[in-house]
Amino acid sequence: MSAMKKILYILFVLAGATACKKQLNIAPSAKVTSYLVVDGNISSGDSTTITLRRTVNLDSNSRANPELGATVAVESAGGASYKLNSKGGGVYVSAPLNLSSGEKYSLKITTSNGGKYASDFVQVKNSPPIDSVRTAIKNDGLQISVDTHDASNNSKYYRWEYTETYQIQSAFESQIIVVKNDSPPPPDIQTPRTPEKKVYNCWVSDTSNSIITGSSAKLAADKISDAPMALITANSEKLRLRYSILVKQYVITAEAFNYFELLKKNTEQIGGIFDPQPSELTGNLHCLSNPNEPVIGFVTVGQVAQKRIFVDKANLPGNWVPETPYGSCQLNTLLYARKVTSTIPTIPPIYVNEVNDLIYGGFQLAVDYAPGGYLASTPLCVDCTLRGTNKKPSFWK
Amino acid sequence: MKKIYFTIILFLTVKLLHAQGISKTISVNFQQATVEQFATELEVKSDYHFYYDRTQFDSLKITLQANDQPLNNILSLAFHNTVYHYAIVASKMQVFLTREKEILTQPAAGYFNIKPGQAQPVVSSPVIDFTTTPVKKPVIESTLENKLYEIGIKTNDIKAGKATISGYVKSGKSGGAIAGASIYVSNSSLGVTTDQFGYYTLALPRGKQLLIVKGIGMKDARRQIMLYTDGELNIELQDQVTSLKEVKISADKVANVRSTEMAVSRLDIKSIKQVPAVFGEADVLRIVLTLPGVQTVGEATTGFNVRGGAADQNLILLDDKTIYNPAHFFGFFAAFNPDIVKGIELYKSTIPEKFGGRLSSVLEVTNREGNKKVFTGSAGIGLLTSRLNVEGPIVKDKTSFIFGGRTSYSDWLLKLLPQAYKHSHASFYDLNLDLSHQVNKDNNIYVSTYISSDNFRLNSDTTYSYSNRNANIKWKHNFNSKLYSLLTVGYDGYKYDIASSANPVNAYKLKFGINQTNLKADFTYYLNRNNTLDFGLSSIYYKLNPGSETPNNASSLIVPDKVADEQALESAIYLGDKYDITPDFTISAGIRYSLFNYLGAQTIRNYAPGLPRTPLNVVDSTNYGGGKVIKTYSRPEIRISARYNIDDNLSLKASYNTLAQYIHQLSNTTAISPIDIYKLSDPNIKPQYGSQVSFGVFKNAKQNTIETSVEVYYKHIDNYLDYKSGAKLIMSHAVEQEVLNTQGKAYGVELSVRKTTGKLNGWINYTYSRTFLKQDDAIAGQLINGGAYYPANYDKPHSFNFTGNYRITHRYSVSLDVTYSTGRPITLPIAKYYSNGAERVFYSGRNEYRIPDYFRSDFSINIDGNHKVHQTFHNSWTVGVYNLTGRQNAYSTFFQQQGGVINSYQLSIFARPIPFINYNIRF
Repeated sequence: MSAMKKILYILFVLAGATACKKQLNIAPSAKVTSYLVVDGNISSGDSTTITLRRTVNLDSNSRANPELGATVAVESAGGASYKLNSKGGGVYVSAPLNLSSGEKYSLKITTSNGGKYASDFVQVKNSPPIDSVRTAIKNDGLQISVDTHDASNNSKYYRWEYTETYQIQSAFESQIIVVKNDSPPPPDIQTPRTPEKKVYNCWVSDTSNSIITGSSAKLAADKISDAPMALITANSEKLRLRYSILVKQYVITAEAFNYFELLKKNTEQIGGIFDPQPSELTGNLHCLSNPNEPVIGFVTVGQVAQKRIFVDKANLPGNWVPETPYGSCQLNTLLYARKVTSTIPTIPPIYVNEVNDLIYGGFQLAVDYAPGGYLASTPLCVDCTLRGTNKKPSFWK
Repeated sequence: MKKIYFTIILFLTVKLLHAQGISKTISVNFQQATVEQFATELEVKSDYHFYYDRTQFDSLKITLQANDQPLNNILSLAFHNTVYHYAIVASKMQVFLTREKEILTQPAAGYFNIKPGQAQPVVSSPVIDFTTTPVKKPVIESTLENKLYEIGIKTNDIKAGKATISGYVKSGKSGGAIAGASIYVSNSSLGVTTDQFGYYTLALPRGKQLLIVKGIGMKDARRQIMLYTDGELNIELQDQVTSLKEVKISADKVANVRSTEMAVSRLDIKSIKQVPAVFGEADVLRIVLTLPGVQTVGEATTGFNVRGGAADQNLILLDDKTIYNPAHFFGFFAAFNPDIVKGIELYKSTIPEKFGGRLSSVLEVTNREGNKKVFTGSAGIGLLTSRLNVEGPIVKDKTSFIFGGRTSYSDWLLKLLPQAYKHSHASFYDLNLDLSHQVNKDNNIYVSTYISSDNFRLNSDTTYSYSNRNANIKWKHNFNSKLYSLLTVGYDGYKYDIASSANPVNAYKLKFGINQTNLKADFTYYLNRNNTLDFGLSSIYYKLNPGSETPNNASSLIVPDKVADEQALESAIYLGDKYDITPDFTISAGIRYSLFNYLGAQTIRNYAPGLPRTPLNVVDSTNYGGGKVIKTYSRPEIRISARYNIDDNLSLKASYNTLAQYIHQLSNTTAISPIDIYKLSDPNIKPQYGSQVSFGVFKNAKQNTIETSVEVYYKHIDNYLDYKSGAKLIMSHAVEQEVLNTQGKAYGVELSVRKTTGKLNGWINYTYSRTFLKQDDAIAGQLINGGAYYPANYDKPHSFNFTGNYRITHRYSVSLDVTYSTGRPITLPIAKYYSNGAERVFYSGRNEYRIPDYFRSDFSINIDGNHKVHQTFHNSWTVGVYNLTGRQNAYSTFFQQQGGVINSYQLSIFARPIPFINYNIRF
């Protein structure tokens, strides 16, 4: 139905651009709730990660409200049980599990306040390998898409997640670290940056934040062709130096497919004239201790397929100019410190640090007045660790 | 004159024998002889004496040559194939010549007691009683106000009692019928309104009467008549040249108080055109929203909700053709051409028994009849669309046509869009061609055709196209002045196609279609002056293609899929009587018996009794062969209304209606969309049933120029279809697994004041209404709001509307439209959470919140060119502003996650003042 939204956009333009989408302040929820939210896939052949959170008030600033101290286990219909250990932040992780593909599995949760929750027993759905992660150069950017197929015709319903990683580079490279001299007078203490302390090249990772599903149920073959994952706009900073995407592919049941479709509609495709009305969402988890308490989430079971690709700037059109947040970055000449002398002779002069929250950018500057200074810029322009990590990921080639 | 003949006949019947003279032969030779020359010569040659009225024969010229013929042969030859008759009374040697009426020289059969053994006199033809029967009396065409029209067979003394006059009210300029014109007797409560063909029948006391005739957009007229016996009178009205003079909601100024109908709104195109419209082009559907009791979910849809009914519970008829999708551009424009629409009528409470098949209302859109006298036309040009209308006689005063067409040319504008939309394409057109033919005064044939088509291509990818196709033929036959029939045969179709070929592997083409063939016979019988009977029968054969999906190119892997065609027959018989018990108390009572047969070939799934209709609970399925009746539903539908006049200006009305609906539009979006599907009732989908009781007080003031009314209603709906969460309706092979039966209740009070004449005219309405739905289907499985009542999407308790027009001069007038309503209910989330990489929201109860209240005012100035009647081109301008205050009315408020973060938005559709201009030319 998102096509409908585009149609409406066109109609609005035809109508003289009269339509208007205005952002509102979010009013607090009328009703305070704290329902359990369960995210995760019980992985076969790998470790399982389950995240437990609670719903929060609509106007709350906290994004995630982790559920700590819960007991989490995967149980098979045959009675086998595998415990997950808390890693903090509501994340619970198991050792690699070897699940039998003919068996059904359920997730059991007991929260610290004694609430008992369980998922339905779910069939194991192992994903076929991803045939290819494709890139295509479109007018408006780089389209990433996936091809896969299942010769045995058993998969049919697919869900994907991806993690993007891209290299960023600060506006200016800092060679030195300047530490304020606690015992004035200046100059401050300065040391050259070691490779671990370099803040010029960093890597940023983002995970997909929209739900991506696909189905071959209507097709003569269990084949997914060119299923769109992400569209990276031509001027995105992601494509400035080098870009990588890791696509994870899950095969899910028809019920899970319907759940994720509805979740997408409820939270991503709503509000338009021809968009469906929001509806209640029922996953496959239940509160055993209070059957009327809603539980949010749909637990899936199965082996995950994944594939990574890299995209280099050299392979992209030359007229794609990335927009960085560094457009307004400037190097300024700053004094080490300014000496402020009191009119009362008994009070010694103090040194006011002029570059307070500015970072020392480059080289020591030979200024013609004492006590000299630095070329410096704002932290965002120099320190890439504010946006990513300066540790090169292990997969980065 | 008649009396004289009658006396003569009585006198002559004493002795009736053929005299000798009749066998005498005569030779004559007349060349263009007058009746005097003819009679004188024959008197000389035959010895018979001739009696005749010279004035009756003044146009007769006789050319005849005969040798040695008896007198009767000569007279036969002379008057063969003319309106003249002769009678020979041989015993008296007399010949009577008459015009039109023949004198029978023998007494009527049974006049004498026949003695046994005596041969019965042979009567050549049945005796016609000229005193009572208006046989083949020519219809009087009345055009003059000061002339006294004599109706019926003139007699010297006027009998006591009533006689019936009937005829057509027509436009003197175009000859087109004027529907909804009122004819009433001055200083009396007697009056009627013309039907859709401009036909009326009125019983009134014999003698001299003054008729007052009023029609929308027509000059009020008077006709003086001298009523002797039953007869026919056609009335021609003159156009009101200053067409801006009046905005009238009702053709019949007395109808508010006098008619038994409740909650019927009639609007003519002139009223519609004066109300400011969003793009300047009059929109016949949007005007409906200004009427009391009509709600909508928002501005971008032409779907409307009448007294708490769903948008698919309105029967939309264009000259008796069922229009499934009355909109273009996904609902932004009405699909009716304002240049050829004559008017609309909305029935929301008293639905006449001749209509059925939908629960809430009937919206009748009527096109004009083509001009029967001269060729005329009109054209309008706008930014997005232009339109043309041509009409004229094929045979003057008998046969006419009217053609209307509209088309859009918006592609040039799409080229200005951002890159992502540049290759889109949008267009629509609609065409009307209607023919009207008067076979003779008792038989009229009307042919009406309509086609509308929309095409939309999004960025060279998905294309949408949808189209209405309709045609019908109507034959109106007057058996006599008291009984007439209307036979209608027609076809109505709607279809849409969606195609995509962007991804070769998934390229598909989806098709949906409805076809219905209709046959309808309606009769109206004026039984006597107190009873008017309506009766008839109708049948609709449905054939639905609920969906088929096929590959759109050779490399597509799409498996061809087709939801089995559905067939059904919906039939009805009805009988209604409008009974005037006293002049002040009238009851209209009708019954409609509807019968629905769901037909094979079809496969029906059988579910375990008492369990939710899910794939798991399918026990087995039954295959039915083609044409086999799978399931029959039937329902007697009651339509009763009554009116009691307390005095001439104040009346009380009450009505009770029950209805059934066998076809359902399936839409789980807020606004109905052109790509919604329709489903017929089947063994697993019950028909919808509705009932409504309403009561009203109607008062007219200031010589019927101000009409006021208060109406209250309560309505109940059974088996309305709502959808399970995440229902997939398109291409569903088991729709019953996706839907839930819902009960609805609605109630409200509507206050209305209308001023129909004067420099300032218009209407003000206030409505308080509530609409609730409830899911308590035992076998539904999951229930919305736990099975409790929740407000429907279009539940807007308070609603106010003002529509006014002020005439400054005959050329300038200004219109103002003000609308206020409570915001519609919406479902808002109650919490948020982080999942699958983003913040998401959690919804609970349906429709527990409301969007902000709605307020809009529109303003327009209508400027007419000069008012010279005789000029080639008449032009007019409308300039105005839609949403004068620029209020950003919320269409919806919603929460959407973008970039992983939840935000709350408000969508407004016409969020700033929109100026418009419209230029029209008439030729």
